[in-house]
Amino acid sequence: MASFIIRRLIALIPVMCIVLVIVFSLVRLIPGDPAVTLLGPGATKEQIDALRAQLDLDQPVVLQFANYVFGLLKGDLGFSLKSGLPVTGEILTRLPATIELSVLAVIVAIILGIPIGVLSAVRPNSIFDHVTRVVSLVGVSMPAFLLALILQLIFATYLGWLPVSGRMSSFLTVETVTGFAVLDGIITGNFAAAWSAVQHLILPTAVLASFLAATLGRFVRNTMLDVMGEDFIRTARAKGLRRSNVVLNHGLRNSLLPAITVIGLKFAEMLGGAILTETIFAWPGIGRYMFEAIKNRDYPVIQGTTLVFALMFVLTSIIVDLLYGVLDPRIRRKMG
Amino acid sequence: MLELLIFLRRNKLAVVGLVILVALVGLITIGPLVSPYTPTKLDILHKLDAPTLAHWLGTDAFGRDVMTRIMYGGRATLAIGVGVVAIAFVIGVFFGMLAGFVGGWPDSIIMRIVDAILAFPALVLAIALAAAFGPSLQNAMLAVAITLAPQFARVARSQALSISVKPYVEAAVSLGLPTHRILLRYIFVNGLGPLLVQSTLALGSAILQTASLGFLGLGAQPPLAEWGADVSANLQFVRSAAWVALAPGMAILLAVLSFNLIGDSLADWFNPRRRNELD
Amino acid sequence: MNIWKGFAAAVVAVPLISAGTYAQAQDRSKTLVVAVPSDPVGLEPGGNKAEPVGSEIILNVFDTLVAWTSPEFKQLEGRLATNWTISADGKEFTFKLRDGVKFQDGTPFDAAAVKFSLERTKATNSYVKATFDLIRDIAVVSPAEVKITLSAAYPAFLSILAQPQSAIVSPAAVQKFGDKFAANPVGTGPFVFKGAQADTNVVLEANPGYFRGAPKLSKIIYRVIPDASTRRLELESGGVDIVQQQGQLSAIAAEDIEALKKNKDIKILETSSQIIRQLEFNNNKKDGPFANVKVRQAITHAIDYDGLLNGVFGGTAERVYGPLTTNSWAFNPKMKELAPKYDPALAKKLLAEAKVDPSSLDLKLYSFQGPLWGAVATFVQANLADIGINATIQQTEFPALRALQTSGQFDVALDGRQPWYNDPDAHITIGYLSPLANTAMTFRMPEDKVLDDLILKAQQTSDLEARKQLYFQVQEEIAKKVPGAYLFSPKLIVFERANVEGLVVNSAPPLNEYWSVSKK
Repeated sequence: MASFIIRRLIALIPVMCIVLVIVFSLVRLIPGDPAVTLLGPGATKEQIDALRAQLDLDQPVVLQFANYVFGLLKGDLGFSLKSGLPVTGEILTRLPATIELSVLAVIVAIILGIPIGVLSAVRPNSIFDHVTRVVSLVGVSMPAFLLALILQLIFATYLGWLPVSGRMSSFLTVETVTGFAVLDGIITGNFAAAWSAVQHLILPTAVLASFLAATLGRFVRNTMLDVMGEDFIRTARAKGLRRSNVVLNHGLRNSLLPAITVIGLKFAEMLGGAILTETIFAWPGIGRYMFEAIKNRDYPVIQGTTLVFALMFVLTSIIVDLLYGVLDPRIRRKMG
Repeated sequence: MLELLIFLRRNKLAVVGLVILVALVGLITIGPLVSPYTPTKLDILHKLDAPTLAHWLGTDAFGRDVMTRIMYGGRATLAIGVGVVAIAFVIGVFFGMLAGFVGGWPDSIIMRIVDAILAFPALVLAIALAAAFGPSLQNAMLAVAITLAPQFARVARSQALSISVKPYVEAAVSLGLPTHRILLRYIFVNGLGPLLVQSTLALGSAILQTASLGFLGLGAQPPLAEWGADVSANLQFVRSAAWVALAPGMAILLAVLSFNLIGDSLADWFNPRRRNELD
Repeated sequence: MNIWKGFAAAVVAVPLISAGTYAQAQDRSKTLVVAVPSDPVGLEPGGNKAEPVGSEIILNVFDTLVAWTSPEFKQLEGRLATNWTISADGKEFTFKLRDGVKFQDGTPFDAAAVKFSLERTKATNSYVKATFDLIRDIAVVSPAEVKITLSAAYPAFLSILAQPQSAIVSPAAVQKFGDKFAANPVGTGPFVFKGAQADTNVVLEANPGYFRGAPKLSKIIYRVIPDASTRRLELESGGVDIVQQQGQLSAIAAEDIEALKKNKDIKILETSSQIIRQLEFNNNKKDGPFANVKVRQAITHAIDYDGLLNGVFGGTAERVYGPLTTNSWAFNPKMKELAPKYDPALAKKLLAEAKVDPSSLDLKLYSFQGPLWGAVATFVQANLADIGINATIQQTEFPALRALQTSGQFDVALDGRQPWYNDPDAHITIGYLSPLANTAMTFRMPEDKVLDDLILKAQQTSDLEARKQLYFQVQEEIAKKVPGAYLFSPKLIVFERANVEGLVVNSAPPLNEYWSVSKK
């Protein structure tokens, strides 16, 4: 198992190198001078030059890249041009909010998506199948910002059941232990805060989860239908086993593995959706941080957040690989 | 042909998708010809009027007819979608085919780059690229195309891999046919089915992603009528005049929905096992 | 497995450690929640670059020597200074300081703190460098008296001292926190900085020992809400008490204001601002069609000013007739007649006289991002189309557009300026003095000795009436050159829940003080 993990990690090195090059060069493509922006009106040429030097923009590109990678190895993502604070710290304070939201969304999507897919596949072309296929297609086709707005209008404005935006009521505070608001509330025994955090999570989670749940439902249905065509299923059915039994025993087991891959892949896409969701719901995560940084041309922050998004994806794919290895010994043997 | 009809009879969702698509295409081709309004002409006295007989979907904040803007906007939006997919298709298929057919180190390099691009959430990369090149519709399209290209590369590569070991391709190689002819004649033509499925599904994502960029102010620039930009520009009026934002939003939803329905059904069509299994 | 054991132990242990730290629901009737679009930047005078959120918080945590008197904001009153005298040559400002004032960390306020604060801002804050460089010397006459000497007469200096950048900081706290002072600001003001959570909120608590009396509120929470429609929904649902227009952003769509006016739970405060939004030409460019004044005039006549004010802004903006807004004490009433009127026929005629074929002008109209600027750009673009000019809108991020402007790579751009101190100097000198042409926020005026001399003379004349006459002249001179089309001045609008009382909207700069505010 250890050698399997190590081999998988080694295989990631070239990918990570290319990711680094992409992230590094992204920001060098941008027109406009960050030094002018940062100093504001009234800055002299000398001040601007000094800042360019400080930002490492006055050196040969190769040296800039070397410095960049060297800094990364020390966990140094540079300093935000806007706030002047270290980007690493700024990202770490916002990361739990994004993880809290996206992990919850994944869980909700799995709880909803897989049973829907299974039920559809058990009775293909039934009313249930048609309804869920249409609903899930609408879910995949709905622009996230539109869904967010509709949900805000219905549940927050008209019905008043849920808060419009934010991560917790302004009137409550919770001590930061883990950075995850709900968890912190429970840990510190501050149940009012935990409950408020849960209420604030519902709408943004729903928006994020809808896309993944719909994708997952569609995927599980299709792979199960594929698996049902395999010989061993035909054999099982020929032996007189009930269709639903066959589906659950053989079909589900064989379609869950690829479903894990889909969750892993779509997780990255969902993180991208977090930019929209976090902006609309005033959610203090890194998606919104990145968007603000783009508006302000905050080079180091754009780089840092883009890199973190890529890292989160790579991390997810490692987890997916490991799960595969755990769930299917054949793969472990083949790849180890 | 008969097979297709039978398939469509069984697959009602494909029919729904086709009907929506035909309706939308009809609307955006014929609509502008018969509409009495121009999409960019201001009529500030009639701003944010509720839907009436004269303005079926009301007017926007500049008094422009929302229905007309949707009809013109559809042209832009669909053209953008097709354009983005075309770019992604060309880039992705070229490199995917090359990787799959040539193998060896070019394959490794291409696929590592593909992996690296896939490591970014599409929207994150598109936003970063659009921000890097500067906000404009062309740059947004290019950015989205770059994020979609890896999917094509993967499909094309696996097609090339499976087809290149077929006897007729091996024969062509041994006959000394130039690589580009082999790629084009055999691998591309025979792998077209799955690529078509991929293209249809990618059209949906392309429209959604460009709309999202438009929503964030990185896409189409005013006064061009484009669905994503129109939703974004009118979102602020949603409480006073819901139709101005919801109408183009629904148009996006319908278009993407139709592409997904058709793409799904095409996938079934090109998958012989599932085509027969649907009992 | 050890990880899990450790985690389990932590889950058990943490509640024990933090037992009794129940965060209680605050008394809502004494807590004010203010919606802001983004985190504050530079929460202290030495680093603040007139960014609105940070500036407003500074004015509530710190005090300045002088401040504009509410609600007219036409006269200065003493804050940390009780009174002051200005020497005959206009260079020496002597302040008598208030006695017995203490900083929030308990250290006393005195003349040394004034000297320390102003010299610190001068050294660290590049934003105010041009004006603070005028300070030649700050002398501590006695603990209760300070004398500031300028290198040249500068009557607007008192107005500068009323700005957040000139607020007085606790020298002891600066010593203690060093470069972390912005995260731990300490002043003498009515509210004490409690803490900030990134992209979430900034919390201030009442300073019971404030020298003007303890504030009526016990707490202010600034809530960061980036999306305009979300801000409105929060205001309606009572999640926030106050939403205000901030700088480039419209807090709430003009169309929504009508709907909000009908809402009994919400009050709307409006007041004129000194903010100007304009279409500006690249006046430094010697070639191209816009070097011809007739073409520039044609553009100014092509714009339907009233349509813009009523149509796009629904009455939430006012007409601007020239380089100064009508509420400035130096506004020249003659500008109302000199200002261009909407006349597309005249515009076409002017183009013909200039021998310019409008269809040959393929313009890029630069603008900032966001729905508000998008709407203005759309409107102007349609106006230009009416006289046959084809303009393409380029909405550009703030820093990128600033870079384009300072390097002169544009023909026409939509832009705006918000004077950062309450004096005509803030608009005129920065905007039109030709040596500043290549810096940010200017009209890039070409060299012109007559106008430059006039501007500098107006800047340095101490006698108010003489100064006013000079600015009258300046405005007429500028109008002749047609440096741009003055589009509108947005009103300052604050939306507040009906139970909020005592708020007075400050016009220049548009930063609110919450000392006098209470909730029913």
